[in-house]
Amino acid sequence: MNSSAFHLNLLKSSELLSSSPVRMRVMLPLFLLLGCAGMVVWWGVLFTQFMAVKARSDGISGDISAKDKSHAEIIERQAHARELSLQLEQLDYYRGGVRKVGEPLAALADVMPLKVQLTRLEIQPPPLQVLQPPGAKQPLPGPVENVETQKVVVVGKTTKETPVLALMESLEDEQFGRLVTRKREVKSFKQDDAPAKGGARLLAFEIEYTMPERRFAK
Amino acid sequence: MKGDILQGMAPNAKRSFAVSVAFAAVGAALYFLAVEPTESKLVVERRRLAGLEDRQRQINFDLKNADTVKEKLDGLEKSLSPYREAMLEPLLGSYSMRAKAKLEHLLLEAGLVNLDYAEEPFRALPLPKPVMPRQLHRRAAIRVTARGSYQAAVSFLLRLERELPLVSLQSMEITAEQNPARQAVAFVLEWPAKGGLTRK
Repeated sequence: MNSSAFHLNLLKSSELLSSSPVRMRVMLPLFLLLGCAGMVVWWGVLFTQFMAVKARSDGISGDISAKDKSHAEIIERQAHARELSLQLEQLDYYRGGVRKVGEPLAALADVMPLKVQLTRLEIQPPPLQVLQPPGAKQPLPGPVENVETQKVVVVGKTTKETPVLALMESLEDEQFGRLVTRKREVKSFKQDDAPAKGGARLLAFEIEYTMPERRFAK
Repeated sequence: MKGDILQGMAPNAKRSFAVSVAFAAVGAALYFLAVEPTESKLVVERRRLAGLEDRQRQINFDLKNADTVKEKLDGLEKSLSPYREAMLEPLLGSYSMRAKAKLEHLLLEAGLVNLDYAEEPFRALPLPKPVMPRQLHRRAAIRVTARGSYQAAVSFLLRLERELPLVSLQSMEITAEQNPARQAVAFVLEWPAKGGLTRK
């Protein structure tokens, strides 16, 4: 008997629309099963990676713990070195600002004209430091400026002006460079009020010199 | 509505649907309960590993350079030693007493007499930038008054500069008196001294 004559259409109309010869009710669970299997493999790969990374982390962690004590000592030394370096820098600023005027003062005696008698020689104190600028809530730990300017005041008596001019000329010499600059001001030059021995009238003078800057820098 | 769809399904399709739903639930459970948490943990662990590797690299580098740090420290200590020797520290709580102990022999050798010592206001030193040291230093100032000739005053300054090179002259005044050998002499001298702490 030819079976082609007997045909039962078991497909539903929705199933007729599918291009696949395998039916959806077979395909869908199969794909989902494969999806589940894929999830398991994915998790397996991730877990293996996690374990490997964790093992490496634990290894490094152990290595760090073993070196921790000696490293802490080095860190302490490094911090100490940093602190000493900063202290040294500040003390080097001090050294930069050390003023030495012994030699020029010794040389001053040699160039002092006979007709000049010094009554006062003064290196004036530097101006006060401003550590509380206007608006600051707390005093500053250090000055804003690293330079100080001072004056040298030379006060004396003489018989006439030429010896004073000679003294001023002498002070322009290089050997007095650490004591005075060429910036000077004759503050007064007048008849002295007090009579000298023998009744002679002397001239009193006061000259103010600007000293070289005292620079607190390396 | 749902019931209608299921009721219209063939028994095979119903089974297939149920199995599909079950697999989908298992898949979702696997993702949310296993894959996703493991992935998050892996990301965290990788980040931890990167941090640990950096730290290990730094530690190895520091350990390798331990000798260099030691050499640097030795060098710094050597450079600081002249300052430490020159530092003015209080003697029985008094800076002027310490200054007296350091200066008296120089003043007397120079021929200055009637010596007196007094503390002047200390001055701050400029600060290193941008980081301040923990221990600050300052300029300790001591006023020394004496009697003597100009030559004696100069002789003292020359001796001071030779023997205590880190002591600086801040200010000075020599005022003439009747007797040229007993003029009024005043110096304000500065030493490096310890100041305050910037942090504990």
